[in-house]
Amino acid sequence: MIVSKQEFLTSSGIEARTLEFWIEQQWLIPARTDAETAFSDTDVARARLIRDLKSDFGVNDEGVDVILHLVDQLHGLRRALKQLHKDIHGPLR
Amino acid sequence: MRNPYEVLGIASTASSADIQKAYRKLAKKLHPDLNPGDKAAEEKFKEVAGAYDLLGDAEKRKRFDAGEIDASGAERPPQHFYRDFATSDEGHPYTDNSGFADFMETDDAFAELLRRGQRARANRRGEDLHYRLPIEFVESIAGANKRLTLPDGGTLDVKIPPGLVDGQVLRLKGKGATGAGEGVPGDALIEVEVLPDHRFTRDGDNILLELPISLSEAVLGGRIRVPTPTGVVTVSVPKASNTGTTLRLKGKGAPRRGGGSGDELVKLKVVLPKSPDPELEAFVSNWTKGKEFNPREGNPS
Repeated sequence: MIVSKQEFLTSSGIEARTLEFWIEQQWLIPARTDAETAFSDTDVARARLIRDLKSDFGVNDEGVDVILHLVDQLHGLRRALKQLHKDIHGPLR
Repeated sequence: MRNPYEVLGIASTASSADIQKAYRKLAKKLHPDLNPGDKAAEEKFKEVAGAYDLLGDAEKRKRFDAGEIDASGAERPPQHFYRDFATSDEGHPYTDNSGFADFMETDDAFAELLRRGQRARANRRGEDLHYRLPIEFVESIAGANKRLTLPDGGTLDVKIPPGLVDGQVLRLKGKGATGAGEGVPGDALIEVEVLPDHRFTRDGDNILLELPISLSEAVLGGRIRVPTPTGVVTVSVPKASNTGTTLRLKGKGAPRRGGGSGDELVKLKVVLPKSPDPELEAFVSNWTKGKEFNPREGNPS
């Protein structure tokens, strides 16, 4: 599902300025159409992770940067592993 | 749900700073997004987060300690974590393959498998897009050309084949989302909803229609005009037709798959003039045979 910026702010409880900063840092890369910024389910879930890291775990901005970079690599590896498994054994259930 | 103090592993006398410390320590270890492959982590994390929702809030903690609320109120609703999306086959801009880029540079079978997987993702087929299209009953029988306006402002021309049924899904090849790289676009899947019609109903390949006729048409017969989904036709009503008499218009029903068509079944309904008519009343009072006829004869009383 795709949500607009306004719906995204309402559902995530994040302030507009905070969101702009996250996009600036490329922690979030929402799709852009001509006038609107469109957020996917993936963006919304990722924003929730960033919010947990910052408000619940007390991670600072530098820390978020490092964690997201490692998490992205981890998921890249997981995908590659999943694909390999598929290539060798047929699709996972 | 367990006692929230136990869940966080603290004494009931712990300070709010201790509670936060205990929560952070556990949550950092258990957060599902930091444990993407560990299914059990999510359950444990939810328990810890629920306990912290309760004890981390001074007001709620006070009420819990006083026995006013129990821990069950602290259970968290199910939530989708980032990990539920991050490894999906659909591409997203956060993919990072630098964690194994070095493995792909070699020349062996393992590197080839990795490279193949990456190419498959780079040339991914576009997604199928789902739409709903309401059409008139008449259009479902006779066929039609419709234009669907898409959420992004674009349009899609849809050819409704004659004889389509409610809920049927039309597939427009290649009209879905664009693919990535050399991947082909997906398809548009259009679920067609046939709107109810105030005259016609459908029964398989046949079309049913109830048609009012006058008393004189019923008694004397005559030629009447009958609507069909493909236009009006003239039909002879035989002498002495009755309410319930059904005329079959061959081939005026829904087209059949593989040639031919069903029929239109016209059920007649005799309707008397709206306002009382003195002439009709005088005739019926003097009509001996009509009075002798009992349509309920033989019915159990």
